[in-house]
Formats: sequence, structure tokens, C-alpha cells
Amino acid sequence: MSTAVILAEATGTWPYVAAAWAVVFGGMGAYALVTVVRGRRLSKKVAPEKRRWS
Amino acid sequence: MLSDAWLIARKDLKLEIRSRVALNQVIPFAILVLVLFAFALDPDRGLLQKATPGLYWIAVLFSGLLAMQRSFSVEAADGVTDALRLSGLTPGGIYLGKTLSVAVQLLVLEVLLGAGVALLYGTVITGWLLLFTTIVVATAAISTAGTLFGVVAAGLRVRETLLPLLLLPVLAPVLIGSTRAFEAALSGTPSEGWPWVGLMSAFAVVYVVAGIFGFGPLMEES
Amino acid sequence: MTTETVGSVQASDNGPTSTGSRSTMILGIVTIVALGVLILFGLILSPADENQGEAVRIMYVHVPSATLSYVGCFLTTIGSVVYLWRKSRWWEILAYASAEVAALFTAFTLITGMLWGRPTWGVFWIWDARLTSEAMLMLLLLGYLAVRGLAADYEVRAKRAAIVGLLLVPNVLIVRESVQWWRTLHQKPTLSLAGAHIEGLMLFSLFTGFIAITLVFIWMVIHRFRVAWLEEQVDLEGLDEAIAERRAEGALS
Repeated sequence: MSTAVILAEATGTWPYVAAAWAVVFGGMGAYALVTVVRGRRLSKKVAPEKRRWS
Repeated sequence: MLSDAWLIARKDLKLEIRSRVALNQVIPFAILVLVLFAFALDPDRGLLQKATPGLYWIAVLFSGLLAMQRSFSVEAADGVTDALRLSGLTPGGIYLGKTLSVAVQLLVLEVLLGAGVALLYGTVITGWLLLFTTIVVATAAISTAGTLFGVVAAGLRVRETLLPLLLLPVLAPVLIGSTRAFEAALSGTPSEGWPWVGLMSAFAVVYVVAGIFGFGPLMEES
Repeated sequence: MTTETVGSVQASDNGPTSTGSRSTMILGIVTIVALGVLILFGLILSPADENQGEAVRIMYVHVPSATLSYVGCFLTTIGSVVYLWRKSRWWEILAYASAEVAALFTAFTLITGMLWGRPTWGVFWIWDARLTSEAMLMLLLLGYLAVRGLAADYEVRAKRAAIVGLLLVPNVLIVRESVQWWRTLHQKPTLSLAGAHIEGLMLFSLFTGFIAITLVFIWMVIHRFRVAWLEEQVDLEGLDEAIAERRAEGALS
């Protein structure tokens, strides 16, 4: 606790900013990746005429 | 539709009276919850008295959940749902009937819990009109929403865990409203409680409308 | 996005091998550029706020995430209504896709809100009206997703989830109203930009955040929609195969 406070005083609020942005960007990236991978895997199982995107 | 509702409500209540599950299990559970709260919050420090409205409504919600689970496990057995569908009763009527029977059970539970709170927690009861109206309106809100989500979860293997997950967040406004209204009544400032009664009434109206229209599609599924 | 129309996405006749298409590829590139601009303005070019300090930078991702979580809920309810009314599978899958993406953005909102709260209030969580209603929104979305993800027939899942989805926006409104009412008895909503003088580069950063994160949202909903569509196709084909096998067995005996 005390070390955290000292660290926070030394570095200001930047760690929190970095953590927040990392969560958002990391989360978006991870979700996008998972979605794309799932899509590729599922595409192999579905007949071509049923996966036409316009 | 209303006569259908009456028919279903009478059937459910008759079933409930004969099976005595509510009497032998749900009501003891409700009282048990009250006793457990006393164990958790030291009764000598006045915490229990201060938290009475909240504890009362939490006890109502949890023991009410048991009653609602039953209302649909009764239907799911022996293909009663199919029989209901074939009976030609309107879905809206079935919904209202189930709601009514759940509401009656909740009212009985609430009266008993109220007596329990007065006896065990030593709560001095004031503001009768507001208390009474709150109980009626909150019961309407809990049973309308509970019946609708009860049928959403009905007949599924996971219904015991699904219903609380669906219902409790939805009932959060009712818990907030009924607790504030009770606090207002017990602290002798009933004028602060009436807006919450209004909010809960709006909630109940939304759910009655959604239930009457939503029951049709839910009943026709295979 | 309609899957009925046959568009030649690739030169070959085999159709796309992923959930991507030329339009989503372009959308994706634009989105990445927008995110780059957001990082540039949000983290580097914009100044610190005089009251909130550097923590104001969290707002550039927090506020758009919160807005889009509500947009996602709204889409879910619309999709559910149209599905119940017209039995349109397209709208049902849209409702599902946007609910899942909305849940993701709700999680972002909660986490960034807490990370903003720690340096500003000294605690991660206070029972602020907005934070609390966002948390309730998360629980409501999880309820919807639990019903939609049931191991049951498509019809059963979809119809029951649509009832939950139909009530999502009314519930969110009632919960918000009651929580706001409950908390403002004690204090004003705290998590807001009111304390910060939003102008100039800060305003522009927030604006960039809205654009970039909205683009991400659209991209995700499209791709999640296509994945859900493929899932249903796989389910249906599995069923068809099983029926065909049964028929074959019947023919043999």
C-alpha cells in the first residue's frame, strides 16, 4: 500500500492512464483476433454458397 | 382473457395449497433468512434495526425466487405446457393467471416476514398506508417480472441458476424503491416514499404489457 | 452485410475464407488509422487537465466506450423487436452480435472508470450513479448472453433471448432512473467531464475517441455477426447431416 502510494506520487497518474488505455486497446485487439480466428475456422465448415458477404 | 387468468390462478393456488411445498419449505426458508441476518449483523449494535427495510426486501426476493421457481417447475413436468397450449386459453390470460398466483403467494410471504421482522428485530411499525401500498405495488412488480422471466427460463436444464441471473438485476429498481419507501414510512417521513411507489408502478405496468404480448411467442415454441 | 445477396468478394468461386470482405478490410484500415490518431492526440498532443491532471486522458477512451455500450443495447432491443415481429433471423443475429460487443465495451467502461476513480477519488469504486448503472447494464447484458448461449435449439434460444433483449432498453432506463434518483439523494453524479474544461485539443481528442471507437464497434459487430451467422449454418448443417444419416439407417433396415 505505502509503496504504491509513493510510486503514485512519484509518477503521477500516468500508470492509471497507461493501464486504462492498455485494457481498452488490448481488449479490442484480443476480441478482434478471437473473432477473426473463429470466423476463419467456421468458414471451412460451411459450404461456399452460404458465406457470401457483400 | 381475465376469466382465463382467474382459471389459471385458481388452478395454481389450489395445487400450491395441496402440495404444501410453500408452507413446508418456502416459509421456513424465509424465516431462516431473517435469523441468518441476525447472526451476520450483531443484533445488539442497532445495525439490524437500521437495516431492517433492506433485509426485509432481500428476504422477500430470495424466498420469492423459490416460489417462482416452483410456479414453472410445476408446469414443466408431465408436459403440462403442451396441455396448456392445447387448452385454447389465451397466452395473455395464462400470463396474468400465473402472475396472480405468484403475487398471492408473495403477499402471504410478505405478511409473515413483516410479522417476523416486527417480532424478531423489534421494528416499530409506523406509516401503515405507505407500507401497505409499497407492499402491494412491489408485489405486483416482482410477480409480473418474475413470471415473465420464469417462463424464459422454464423447461431448461439450467433454470435454477438462470432465473436469479436474469431476474435479480432487473428487480434492482424494485429493491431500491421498496427499501427507500419502507425507510421513509418507518422514519415517519412518508412523503419521501411516494415517488418510489410511482416508479415501481411504472415498472409493473411495463412488465404487464411486455408479459401479455411476450407470452404468445414464448408459448408457441416447441 | 446482407448474406442473401451474392457479391463476388474474391475472384475465386469459393467465396471468402474468413469473415472479412473488401469493405470490412477498408473499414479495418480506416479504424487502425483512427486509433493511431487517437493515441497521438489522446496521449501525446493534448495537455493535462488543471483539475484532473493526466487522468483526464482516460476520459478519451472511457466516454466513447460508455456511449457505445448503450448504443449496443439499443441495437439489441431493436433487433429483438424486429425478430419477434417479423421472425427475421438477420435481425436476431444482429441483436446477438451487438449484445456481445456491448458487453465488451461495458467492461471497458467499468475498468477505465475504476482506473480513473483511483487517482481522482482515492478509491476504485464509489456508488456513483453512472458507475452503478453501468454495472447493472453489464449484468443485464450477461443475462441476455446467457439465454442466447443456451445449449438448445435455435428457435428456443433465439425466442427467449429476444424476450430478454426486448426488455433490455426499458430495464436499462428504469435502472438508470432509479439509481440516479437513489444516489442523487446523497450527491451529484461525480464521474463527469464537468470538472474539466473541455476545449481545444482536449475536445478534439475526445472527438477522435468517439470516431475511432465507433469505427471499432462497427467493425466488431459486422465480424461478430458473420461469425454468428456461420455458427448457425454449422448447427443447421450438423442437424441436416444427422437427419440424412438417420434416413440412410432407416432405408437400410
